[in-house]
Amino acid sequence: MHDKQFKKEMLAESAQAFRAGRMDRRTFLALCGASGVAMNAVLAGDAQAAADHVVMWNWGGQSEECHGSAIGEAFTAKTGKGLKFDTSGPLEGKIKEMVDSGNVTADVADADLFNAVSLGPTGHLEPIDYSVVSKEKTLPGYALEYGVSIILYGYAFVYDTEAYGDNPPQNWADFFDTEKFPGTRALYKWANGSLEAALMADGVAGSDLYPLDMDRALNKIQSIKDDSLYWGSGSEVHSMVVNNEVSMAIIWQNRGRNIENDTDGQYKLVNNQAMAMPGAYIVPKGNPAGAAVMEFIATAQDIPAQLALLDCLGMTPSNPEAFGQIPEDQQPYAITSAMNIDKIVYNDPEWWGKNGGDAVNAFLEAIS
Amino acid sequence: MQALNRHIHPGWLIIAPLMLMVVALYLGPILNILWLSVTDPEPGFSNYAKLTEGDALIRIVWTTVRICIITTLFSVIFGYSIAYAMVHCHQRQKTYMLTLLLVSFWISILVRTFAWLMLLGRKGLVNVTLEDIGLIAEPVAFMRNELGVLIGMVHYMIPYAVLPLLVSMQSIDQRVMDASRNLGASGSQTFWRVYLPMTMPGLVASTLLVFILSLGFYVTPAVLGGGKVLMVAEYISVQLLVTLKWGTAAMLAAIMLIGVLVMLWIMSRFMKLSTVFGGAAR
Amino acid sequence: MADPTQTGSLQIRNVSKFFGQFRAVNDICLDIRNGEFLTLLGPSGSGKTTLLMMIAGFLDISKGEIALDGASISDVPAEKRNFGMVFQGYALFPHMTVRDNVGYALSVRKRPADEIRNRVDEMLELVQLQEFADRKPGQLSGGQQQRVALARALCFAPPVLLLDEPLGALDKKLRVEVQEQLKDIHRRVGTTFIYVTHDQEEALSMSDRIVIMRDGAIEQVGTPKELYERPINQFTASFLGKSNFIHQNGKVFALRPEKIDLMPGNENAEARMRGAIRNITYFGSMQRIIVDTDEGAEIEVDIDVWRNASDLAEGLRVDLLWKDSAAVELQTG
Ligand SMILES: Nc1ncnc2c1ncn2[C@@H]1O[C@H](COP(=O)(O)OP(=O)(O)O)[C@@H](O)[C@H]1O
Ligand SMILES: [Mg+2]
Repeated sequence: MHDKQFKKEMLAESAQAFRAGRMDRRTFLALCGASGVAMNAVLAGDAQAAADHVVMWNWGGQSEECHGSAIGEAFTAKTGKGLKFDTSGPLEGKIKEMVDSGNVTADVADADLFNAVSLGPTGHLEPIDYSVVSKEKTLPGYALEYGVSIILYGYAFVYDTEAYGDNPPQNWADFFDTEKFPGTRALYKWANGSLEAALMADGVAGSDLYPLDMDRALNKIQSIKDDSLYWGSGSEVHSMVVNNEVSMAIIWQNRGRNIENDTDGQYKLVNNQAMAMPGAYIVPKGNPAGAAVMEFIATAQDIPAQLALLDCLGMTPSNPEAFGQIPEDQQPYAITSAMNIDKIVYNDPEWWGKNGGDAVNAFLEAIS
Repeated sequence: MQALNRHIHPGWLIIAPLMLMVVALYLGPILNILWLSVTDPEPGFSNYAKLTEGDALIRIVWTTVRICIITTLFSVIFGYSIAYAMVHCHQRQKTYMLTLLLVSFWISILVRTFAWLMLLGRKGLVNVTLEDIGLIAEPVAFMRNELGVLIGMVHYMIPYAVLPLLVSMQSIDQRVMDASRNLGASGSQTFWRVYLPMTMPGLVASTLLVFILSLGFYVTPAVLGGGKVLMVAEYISVQLLVTLKWGTAAMLAAIMLIGVLVMLWIMSRFMKLSTVFGGAAR
Repeated sequence: MADPTQTGSLQIRNVSKFFGQFRAVNDICLDIRNGEFLTLLGPSGSGKTTLLMMIAGFLDISKGEIALDGASISDVPAEKRNFGMVFQGYALFPHMTVRDNVGYALSVRKRPADEIRNRVDEMLELVQLQEFADRKPGQLSGGQQQRVALARALCFAPPVLLLDEPLGALDKKLRVEVQEQLKDIHRRVGTTFIYVTHDQEEALSMSDRIVIMRDGAIEQVGTPKELYERPINQFTASFLGKSNFIHQNGKVFALRPEKIDLMPGNENAEARMRGAIRNITYFGSMQRIIVDTDEGAEIEVDIDVWRNASDLAEGLRVDLLWKDSAAVELQTG
């Protein structure tokens, strides 16, 4: 009932947000759940896969246009094959359902790298063919058997300059210190990023995060629970910040520019200890276009495509060769830009792929 | 055929294919859920055992039930007053009210949810006004907590509460109320002893409808609760789509289903459910 | 229970009811005596229910005043008037048993339970429904429901009982039976009955007095006999029973069909009119004969069947005779 509307609004919102691009996966879950629509109906999608084109399963909105211009055109020039879209959003549960039902209609899903870890071994994904796709054109550790990171997004935080003007918070320790920095916080509701931030605040070094010490992280989270709100979608945290409901908020770092603009600079982005999240392309088992999709993934790794995705969607390249070519004005909001890359930590998709489900549940139980 | 007809009314044969389809479409998924809840990830009652391991799931269920009960209570009380006003006002106003009511069905739940934030949020119209006129020093926390969830849900549910009550009130003969007054009953005596009992089927229908719809609520608690009010529907959806714990999801769905059935059964002990669903009140 | 010093006489003084521009009741004056059975008779839409509702207090009086035993009750709300009422369609409480329906007036007056029980038993006996006390109205027949409504309205011994077409929903045979019961109950309880009907036979057989209404106004008031024998205008004469209208010397007379005698042949010197039989209809106890008079009028004559049963036939020339007193002069205009 609500899902179409919700989705439309979400998409409109993401289109309006310049380079907000990275549509939040977990948000979409909210859309589907709220709708009460049977999973199959959502899964049916609208794309018909066949050998003369590949079907990309993404989140619609701006990404449809951007994926077309950034990757699709080059791919067609190279192979003569077209690119079509299924914009229903490849949530993990929906990928599993599609493969289990035997009616696979998508070739490549715009997903998270940890999805490759959880869905690959259970037989829901095709392995990546690294004779076509390059392991060098992504960060080390982000080229996995069943998925390869194409772009990066990240978690950073913004703070209210009117509340903490003279002595601004510098890091996650400050974010979690409600005595020194009184005020309400907004954290990401689906655990990802929030757990890592809590551990860093509690003194764990960025390089020693994994495996996450869940008890320690949740303790830290709960220590500021009374002062915390939890957001589930980019638009939600945006409204929390713009309406001055919180004085600090974990956000997707590529949304930072929007927030700074919309609050006339009242809120400032802090990239120190920001966490890089690998967004990945994965291939549902038995995809209709078969091996041809590997060529598409390889095209997305090329530097022109990487820079075009940054320009069009605000997604940071994951191909290290492209890092140096990030334009000046994008640098504060691109997590692997020269000005940020030394201050960031990297998400471990292996840990999240194996433990993500339990971590999300534990987190939800802790905050509710 | 003759022998068969003697036992089965031929009408049943005509609708038999339809009946089979209904059974397949409704009973099938329900059985599937029950089946999943005892087979995924492994056969047995491990999913149900989770209810006893730690208090988290119980707490989520309890939060859901508590919020649904309060929502139902207020929605039905407001709904009753609105339906009463609609039945007893002039035709023109009634048309206006009905239009407003129906229009509210068309407004997306997300829009309403954010509208509440704009109205009652920290920087919302109400708080800003109250601060401006000096009634409060700090904004009142209407939103991003359980109160916010309740406000949003009650608002959403009121139209659903009104409709069955409206039908029930419209079918009441005004002369019966006149008779009560004529026999010396005051307005409030007439209400409690005649009007309320006569609208009871509508009241029960409205309560059931709102309560059951509330159980499936999702977006409003997620947004207006500031993430801290976790209800079963949202949790189920997370298990289905994110954590892939379909067994847990199925178990919770089964519990909700059984809970609703038990509720209907208890109510059927007190009144004929057929009257609630439109049968004659005999 | 009702005040025993109240006697139940009602004075209706220049009462009108407007619905917008429309006058549903127009300047009615009427004195209703204590204990009488008064019937409001008139065609549908003549304002009977409206007048009754004003008496009961459910409708505001637009103009005029209603008084009980001389004291105005115009401002007394319905629930304080202590008038019993039997509604069109009965308006029983569907969710209560017969016993609770009947005892309702006492129970809202917070009377002790055993008083209520005794009084309800008494009332159920009056309407002969003792064995139905624990049923719900939906489980009763129309006639039984009607009696429950009556018992409910009488239970608190109101000085005045208002009845709005209480027999309208019953079939003909049952209606006659219930009419007698009603009349009997009236005699026993002695309450003033104000009875609304559009059925003239009902009005004639039950009432002490009848008020003929038309277009919101009273046409004539009187005992059934007075109205039947001495109608003052064509409306009353034709609404109550059948009547021939005879125009003579610019005057109009009403002449009841049964007051006319009919003689075969044209030799009777006292004949008032002469003519030929056009049609004979047999009604069992009497036959109705239509005569085309030589003056060109059409006269109906009711003749007892035992009289000259066989010698009448269509086309036969006849003389019509009646006594002077049989022809009632009517107001015209
Ligand atoms: N509430 C009302 N509004 C407007 N007109 C009414 C209303 N009630 C009755 N009337 C009109 O008043 C006239 C008398 O009605 P009523 O008293 O019900 O007649 P009766 O009972 O003699 O059939 C009718 O023409 C009816 O249409
Ligand atoms: Mg009437």
